[in-house]
Amino acid sequence: MDNKINITSSMNNLLSRFTRRFKDGSIGTKLSHFIFGAGNIYHKQYIKGLLFLLLQIGIILFMVLCPEINNTPYGYKALLNLSLKNLSEGGAFDPTTGVFTHGSDCKLIILFGFVTIAVIIIYFILWDKNISSSFKADNDLKVGKKPSSFKQDLSELFDSKFHVTMLTPTCIAALVFTILPTIFMIALAFTTYNDQDMNEMGTNLFYWNGLNNFRAVFTGEGSLGIEIKNRFMPVLGWTFIWAIFATLTCYFGGIILALLINKKGLKGQKIFRTIFILTIAIPQFISLLAVRNLLGEYGPINGLLMNLGLTNSPIGFLGLRPGDSERLAKLMVIIINMWVGIPYTMLMTSGILMNIPQDLYEAARVDGASTIKMFFKITLPYVIFVTTPYLISSFVGNINSFNSIFLLTGGGPAYTGYQAGGTDLLVTWLYKVTIDQGSYNTGAVIGIFTFIITASITLLTYRRSKAYNQEDTFQ
Amino acid sequence: MKKIISLLLALFMITCLVACGSDGSSGNKKGSSEIVIWVGEESAEFYQGVCDKYVEEHPDLGYTITVKGMDTGAVAGVVTNDPSAAADIYTTAHDNIGKLASTQCAKPFADESLINQVLADNPASFKNVIYSTLDGKEYLYGVPYISQALFLYYNKEKVTDEQAQSFEGLRQAAQAAGTKAITVTGDDGYNMSFALLATKVDDHSTSVKIYEGAEAVSGGSKGVSNCQGDDTVAIVRWLQEYAADPNGFKWASSDGWDADLRNNGALAVIGGAWHYNAAKAALGETNLGIALIPTFTLTESAVEGLSSVSAGDTYRGGTFADCKVFMLNAHSDPEKYTALQDIVKYLSSKEIQNESYVNCLNVPAYVGASEYIKSCYESSSVTESQYNLACMQVEMAEWGIPQPFLTGTLNTYYYSKNAPAVFRAMIDKTAYPTTGDQILEETESLEGVRKGLYLMEYLWMHGLNPSEFPASLPEQA
Amino acid sequence: MSNKKYKSQSKSQKTSLGLTYLILIILSIIWLVPLLWIVLSAFRCEYQADGTFIGTVTSNFFPKAYGLKNFKDLFTAKYYGVENAFPRWMLNTLIIAIIDCVISTFLVLSVAYCMSKLKFRMRKPFMNIAMIIGLFPGFMSMIAIYFLLKSIGLTGNAAHPEYSMIGLVLAYSAGAGLGFQVAKGFFDVIANALVESAKLDGCTNFEIFLKIILPLAKPIIIYQALMSFTGPWMDFIFAKVIIGADNAPFWTVSVGLYSLLFGTHPDTNLFTQFAAGCVVVAIPIVTLFMFLQKYYVEGVTAGAVKG
Repeated sequence: MDNKINITSSMNNLLSRFTRRFKDGSIGTKLSHFIFGAGNIYHKQYIKGLLFLLLQIGIILFMVLCPEINNTPYGYKALLNLSLKNLSEGGAFDPTTGVFTHGSDCKLIILFGFVTIAVIIIYFILWDKNISSSFKADNDLKVGKKPSSFKQDLSELFDSKFHVTMLTPTCIAALVFTILPTIFMIALAFTTYNDQDMNEMGTNLFYWNGLNNFRAVFTGEGSLGIEIKNRFMPVLGWTFIWAIFATLTCYFGGIILALLINKKGLKGQKIFRTIFILTIAIPQFISLLAVRNLLGEYGPINGLLMNLGLTNSPIGFLGLRPGDSERLAKLMVIIINMWVGIPYTMLMTSGILMNIPQDLYEAARVDGASTIKMFFKITLPYVIFVTTPYLISSFVGNINSFNSIFLLTGGGPAYTGYQAGGTDLLVTWLYKVTIDQGSYNTGAVIGIFTFIITASITLLTYRRSKAYNQEDTFQ
Repeated sequence: MKKIISLLLALFMITCLVACGSDGSSGNKKGSSEIVIWVGEESAEFYQGVCDKYVEEHPDLGYTITVKGMDTGAVAGVVTNDPSAAADIYTTAHDNIGKLASTQCAKPFADESLINQVLADNPASFKNVIYSTLDGKEYLYGVPYISQALFLYYNKEKVTDEQAQSFEGLRQAAQAAGTKAITVTGDDGYNMSFALLATKVDDHSTSVKIYEGAEAVSGGSKGVSNCQGDDTVAIVRWLQEYAADPNGFKWASSDGWDADLRNNGALAVIGGAWHYNAAKAALGETNLGIALIPTFTLTESAVEGLSSVSAGDTYRGGTFADCKVFMLNAHSDPEKYTALQDIVKYLSSKEIQNESYVNCLNVPAYVGASEYIKSCYESSSVTESQYNLACMQVEMAEWGIPQPFLTGTLNTYYYSKNAPAVFRAMIDKTAYPTTGDQILEETESLEGVRKGLYLMEYLWMHGLNPSEFPASLPEQA
Repeated sequence: MSNKKYKSQSKSQKTSLGLTYLILIILSIIWLVPLLWIVLSAFRCEYQADGTFIGTVTSNFFPKAYGLKNFKDLFTAKYYGVENAFPRWMLNTLIIAIIDCVISTFLVLSVAYCMSKLKFRMRKPFMNIAMIIGLFPGFMSMIAIYFLLKSIGLTGNAAHPEYSMIGLVLAYSAGAGLGFQVAKGFFDVIANALVESAKLDGCTNFEIFLKIILPLAKPIIIYQALMSFTGPWMDFIFAKVIIGADNAPFWTVSVGLYSLLFGTHPDTNLFTQFAAGCVVVAIPIVTLFMFLQKYYVEGVTAGAVKG
């Protein structure tokens, strides 16, 4: 109830703000409602006014001219197309001239539709800004101040509005390259965009499909319905097992390694540290592919095992052949992941270990505590306390750990008849479904599920963590 | 009074969009005087040379030609993702024609002289598969320039020429060497043709039908398919036995089939001309034997319970006998259309096909190429193994059929709807998931094989699993 | 503490120290084996009886013969129709990495500074949005980014294939600002009193950023620069899509090396050349890491504590 009242009252506020500005504003401000920058020009703020005007002209041109890429328009036509109805297949061909008339490209219609909507939103933000800028100048005049000059505006951007200057590049970049693509991806989950189905029907058009794709996850319909129905839970389960083991093994392994390396009186710390850092410094596609080849069917490890007579036929460590042991493959990826991940935690905890107050240990020693006891009673609680945020982010990172699986097992051992193999995580499965199979709608559904899971874990744990709640105390 | 910087940046962005957009809206052109051709990586250099010569001979062409190497297996995918970024002329295996035509990534050929050249030069079997329909009219979409078929590479050091003639002989050699007899280069629908399309040696007969009489139009008739004949059942059961044999068949290793050859993991592999370099690197040219896909003889246990086949019947492994074709990009500038057709006509001419055999070992597609191949060997412009390769491929082509995937639907159903996985499950005798929670547990028995084959046929025809199996098999899927 | 007790303790300490050495040495060997394997493969120079070079994975860990042939081939070979492909790819990657490094570091620092030291209305929502956006699997947005870049002409096209490199730099650095958390954690530790007193002295926020924060932020600048510099050397999926499968002259080195191993190059005998390429790529990055280790550790620690 409270929320409702809030919303209506804030709507009223907003409305009254606009009417007040129109009523009380000068002629310039009134004009600004229709022509961007008119108010600024009226107040002799020419540069700002012209900038606003140019932007308005630019956006209107963009909306009216509808620039096209791959026969798909931006602008108002993009909005009309967004319904994905009455699209033409195109394909008219004139053998004498070689002219081939193409129909629409649905994925671009959706993408460009969203871009156009973003441009419209920007247009209205600019509209508001240009009115309030002029209105502010009105008020300045009323109290006897001169409207701010362009120079003043600029200097403001380096002081009280410095955050605007600093954040704008990131905001624009994020809007174009992160937020729009993400919205696009989410939208695909509600379409029939699936290369398999489209090839089958001999069309290059797809349509909105409501919630049917989500329904298919539970009923097993559609081209990948059986796959999702039968493989989603196992893949999800393994993703969690993987994330838990990968996080914990690397975490505790790293702490132990850090303790070993930082042991008092140990010489050559630097050399040891350098050796372990190598796996961080070397690009993963190099180090992981090296391991993969090392463990290959005709690689040195299998060669050694067979020479020693420990096995007759090569062992499929990484489940690259259908029928290889799934458990072994799972075990191997967790172990190999330790090889990559432990040094990272080692580096991180090294610094933290140094910060543990030494008198805690002294006191414990006086009480006659053993080294192991001290580790569990002092070191571990302290490190865990300090690094909780890292644990969470590394857990989420492991859920989305693409390289370790893709480069090592490729998701194998393959399950006959399915895309998702024994060691596939949600994210590698997603890759196979979208990039290999072109089933973008199914992929988007999997992506949304992955997102819901990671987001809820992050929000639940992160918001409760000390570091987050105490964030303001640093301010 | 606000975000001036943001205004500036937004302005920049929008002007960019408007500027580039207006550039694009003036027609979907490459906007250049360049013609780009994609061919297989192994022949890019050769075709660049040919095209350079062509440009020299045609000073009024008005275009430069750039040839780029592309993975021909991936071309269809790359083109469909963003056709307007693809080359003006690209090459792919003919079975992609249906898919590329229906997604409007390909432009038909209309030049009469080119069409006449194609129809006159190529085997009749190709003619059905290089046409497709657009707007209710039939058009030529692909111009063949390379023929492709599977044959056998084997390790001469361990296998005698005589042993390489039959699967049984290979097994004998494998027993002596303590290894597996034969492998394949992949477990997809293309490679399984060696067993699926096997034909009786006596009369080249088989009961297998794949989309026979299908129409080259989306949504049209899918024709007739059959893979449930007694001979197919017997062949699968024979292959099950052969794969279970410690010295029989194996799938390629995770390090690749060439690692099998090199490390003595298998003595032979069924592959195509495009595997020649890798096979040569694995075994060395002197040890590399090339032969027809071997014959095999049905055993007592394979024909048990089957009436129309008998033990001792001999079959030869089969193959798809394909062609690689030149195709035109539907998005390329109409002004280039005539020039592009002329270039294709030139590149697919007998002379250039011949040259490409000598230079890149592309076996020509036209009828009667074997005479030229022979003359090359006699004038020793190719080595013995290169000569063998071409001969074996040409001979194998007579045992095979072109991939009959006239539309994207047929291609998808055959390759991407798990029929190959069912086949592999039968050979490996592993369980296979069918509908919902149903699993075809037992793929080993006669009943299991019959069910598996019914499932494959059903997938070919319908693209999905049947809701249940008929009470008695075989039954038309 | 009596002398005797001290001695016995030092003895047990000695054994435990010895044990530590043993464990560390064993671990070091385990850690080094796969890397050694790549290095050895790079220097492998074995031939078959008939003189064919063996360039694939072999079952012997130590090569039977060593040589520089792989490196020589790598630098002179023509891959995917490109003369001197490998040096070109190296150069492409270097250019992309440097530009990406500059832009990304700037974006990260500016966002982190705002989030840590400035107060404004949208601060908290911005932080939450940044965190949530970061949770979507990245390559799902790949197609969208490709076509957006294409809209502004920054993917490889016939007339200007080199523009795709600009597109790739944009794709890499555009999202960088949202990964501000580590740098923010570092800035948070810088005392606010410092900022306040500067304000009293009449410094603008810009001056504070330039004259007070940046000089103190050297470790985090180096950390961020290192991270964004190494990124382009490791990505093999995004780069191929944006630059284009047919645009081999403008590939980055990781796309090239990955294709050597998994592409359908006519000659599959390329594992040892791949290994040589890995060594060449790894040397500069590893050296950089070794030199900047101190800063890297500081960055990692700051990131861990502040998430």
